[in-house]
Amino acid sequence: MMLGAPLGLLALLAVPALVAAYFLRRRQPPRTVSALFLWRTPDQRAEAGPRLHRFSRERSLLLEVLAVLFAAFFLSDVRCGQTAPRQHVVIILDGSLSMNAADAVDRAKTEVARIARAENAGVLTLIETGVRPSLLAGPQLERDRALATLERWRPAQPAHDFAPAFTLARELSGSAEHRLFFITDGPPPESLALLPTIEGRSVGEALGNVAFLSAQRRDEGGRAQVTVRVGNFSDTEKKVSVRFTPTGAAVQTRELTLPASGTAVLRVGFDTTGAIVAALPDDALRDDGELALLPSPLADVTVSMTSDLDAQAQAALRRFFAIAPGVKLAAPATLTIGPPKSGARFQLGATGTLKSFVGPFFSQKGHALLDDVQLGGVVWTAGENPPGRVLMSAGDVVLLSEEDDGTLHANLDLGRSSVQRTVAWPVLLSNVVRLARLSSPGFPRKHLMLGEDTPLVALAGSKWELRGADGEARPVMGSGVLMLPPLPRAGTWALEKDGEPFDALVVLPLDPRESDLRTRGPWELAAQKPQAFASFATTHPRPWWPLLVVLLLVLLDFWLTAAPRKKDVPA
Amino acid sequence: MTVRLDFGLVERAATGCALRLPRGPHRGKLGEVRASSVGSSLELHDFRQYSPGDDLRHIDWNAVARTGELYLRVRQDEVSPRVEVLVDASASMAISEEKAARAREVAAWVVTLARRGGLDPSVISTGSTVRKAGGPSTRAMLEALEFDGRTPFDEALRRAPPLLPCGLRVVISDFLFEAPPQPFAERLARGAAGLVLVQVLDAEDVNPSGGAGARLTDAETGEVLERVLTPGVLEQYEARFNAHVGLWQAAARRVRGTWAQASAEQSLDALARRELSSLVELA
Repeated sequence: MMLGAPLGLLALLAVPALVAAYFLRRRQPPRTVSALFLWRTPDQRAEAGPRLHRFSRERSLLLEVLAVLFAAFFLSDVRCGQTAPRQHVVIILDGSLSMNAADAVDRAKTEVARIARAENAGVLTLIETGVRPSLLAGPQLERDRALATLERWRPAQPAHDFAPAFTLARELSGSAEHRLFFITDGPPPESLALLPTIEGRSVGEALGNVAFLSAQRRDEGGRAQVTVRVGNFSDTEKKVSVRFTPTGAAVQTRELTLPASGTAVLRVGFDTTGAIVAALPDDALRDDGELALLPSPLADVTVSMTSDLDAQAQAALRRFFAIAPGVKLAAPATLTIGPPKSGARFQLGATGTLKSFVGPFFSQKGHALLDDVQLGGVVWTAGENPPGRVLMSAGDVVLLSEEDDGTLHANLDLGRSSVQRTVAWPVLLSNVVRLARLSSPGFPRKHLMLGEDTPLVALAGSKWELRGADGEARPVMGSGVLMLPPLPRAGTWALEKDGEPFDALVVLPLDPRESDLRTRGPWELAAQKPQAFASFATTHPRPWWPLLVVLLLVLLDFWLTAAPRKKDVPA
Repeated sequence: MTVRLDFGLVERAATGCALRLPRGPHRGKLGEVRASSVGSSLELHDFRQYSPGDDLRHIDWNAVARTGELYLRVRQDEVSPRVEVLVDASASMAISEEKAARAREVAAWVVTLARRGGLDPSVISTGSTVRKAGGPSTRAMLEALEFDGRTPFDEALRRAPPLLPCGLRVVISDFLFEAPPQPFAERLARGAAGLVLVQVLDAEDVNPSGGAGARLTDAETGEVLERVLTPGVLEQYEARFNAHVGLWQAAARRVRGTWAQASAEQSLDALARRELSSLVELA
């Protein structure tokens, strides 16, 4: 029990006064009278019942003393089951993947509990560092609840800068002067020196580690080709066996000899179309020693050309699609090609007054349609400007443009241009096909690195949701081609459409900077401003129940002593 | 509270007095007082014509001779009228020893007077239990009378057996209860040829002492009222008390009863000569 305002206990002084008044009243001499009704004033005659002996001095005293007690409870802000004072302690936890090494995460949890006890924390705010810092608990969550929330914490972030988390912590602590706590397993970050109010400590341990550094999978014709790079983060040569467990095929084990601080590449083929799990022997950090690779065959793109497309353009397109991999001319098509104003996804042709350009061509850098498109020596004949956002232009003529709905316009007359006879033509069409392929709903990529943004194509009109291996669900907001924030943990994530599984991807727990545990180790850095305490107790609303009890007691006392009663009427 | 009843004192107070009965005809056992019923006394009451079945001994032959018609002498019966003494035995009648003693003495005095007058007295007390006694047992009952009733007189009387017709009904009480006086007085007067209401009051009932705070407890209900007995409060009490007594006096007048007030401070002998003199006539 704690008292928010101990001075409120002064209200208890009313108790002796009440008791004194009680005894003074008791000293009044009792007198028996023949007719009490003659002594009453008219009001009293109306109020009192002649038969009921309702007034009880002792009960009234008891009720009044109880009322004073509860009033004192209210005024003194009594909090049952709480200890005073309540401090708000903000703790920043390193969310790096390496925190899982050698039980560092458990030591971090223990350290949080120790800090909470030592600082007499009533409420905690726990911040996890990351590419985007996040709140593990809080802000200002009850200590026990915060610690319980922390039990479920499993760090899974790639290497990142801690500064955003420090900034967030300072804001949530309420003042730049408040002391903060930072727990990591790595070396002291440079940004720590800039913040004198942060008290940092490391729970890490310098260890050797063998980890996957990268992984790729290529599926073709029912055969999967897996390529992994394994790194040795220790100062001695190591021999490790890599175990591949494909779905529906035999397990394969490969032995690798890794030089000190060196890497080795392993390429293995499997006759499977299912997932393949690659695993290294258990070591200091198990997370980076096991990964699953999902099948990621190149998705076929169906293409159709409208009949009103001019014959020369159709011929040029057919020549390309005949040799392009994963492209079929069929209907219904993912990619439709037609002349300008045909409504096709890729509109090819020039209308109006034609004009030829040999350069210079101005293109928007970074757009996927123009990747590797070289137009040196090309003659580009164009007509009137197409609608949409300009991707490439020559002078004041728009050569390539894109509308908001993804429709591409190529202002190009193939009969008078030389584009189709240059290398730029197949590259440009490959990019068109790639964009069409990427616009298919689902994950364009099946494997992402830890901390990488998640590309996703979601069609409007359906409910899309991401679901992790542990059941955690993250709704997908928006439709079209989306770039979602990095997924919070490594592993398989399923994409559900209207509650049904639709697609899946794997976040690979790969980050060489996190796998290198040799730089880890314990350290402690006291705050440079130790006089700055953790932030003061948050003001919880004062409980109102004692006041309600007081009100009830007063009403009961009034009822016992002076409440109007229906007078007994003689029959 | 039990105070020994001094019958010697009662006898002395009753010496030379007789209970004054109302002038109207009475009913009761055969006795010496003219009754309301037709009987065989020597007192002539009326004449009426003969009807078949009448006693031929009652024919007035002189009237037959004068009128030629058969006339009967109708004579009145002579009875010994009943005297009913109702004693309020509620606790308020015993707030002081004097008040209880005086109430008991007045009751015994009336019984003694009635018995000396050849009447048939009976006593009904309304304490915690209703008791009724007649004849010789009235004395024992009055000696053992306990003022222990916890309900007002009017309510206690409802528990009593129905009041029978009687020649005289004497009600001894302090009449300090909240029941409306008029209906209650009518109820008391019903069936009685005469009604006497004797109000026995203690000095504290009439002039309560004041000057300090007090917890006033009703003698019957136990109800408590805390008052500071300032002169103003005492004046208010006096006014209410007088108004209350006035209501009872008016009620007694309306039912043609007699109202008498007996102060417990005075002796029975003094009361018999002054305040209660309206109940008696010199023998």
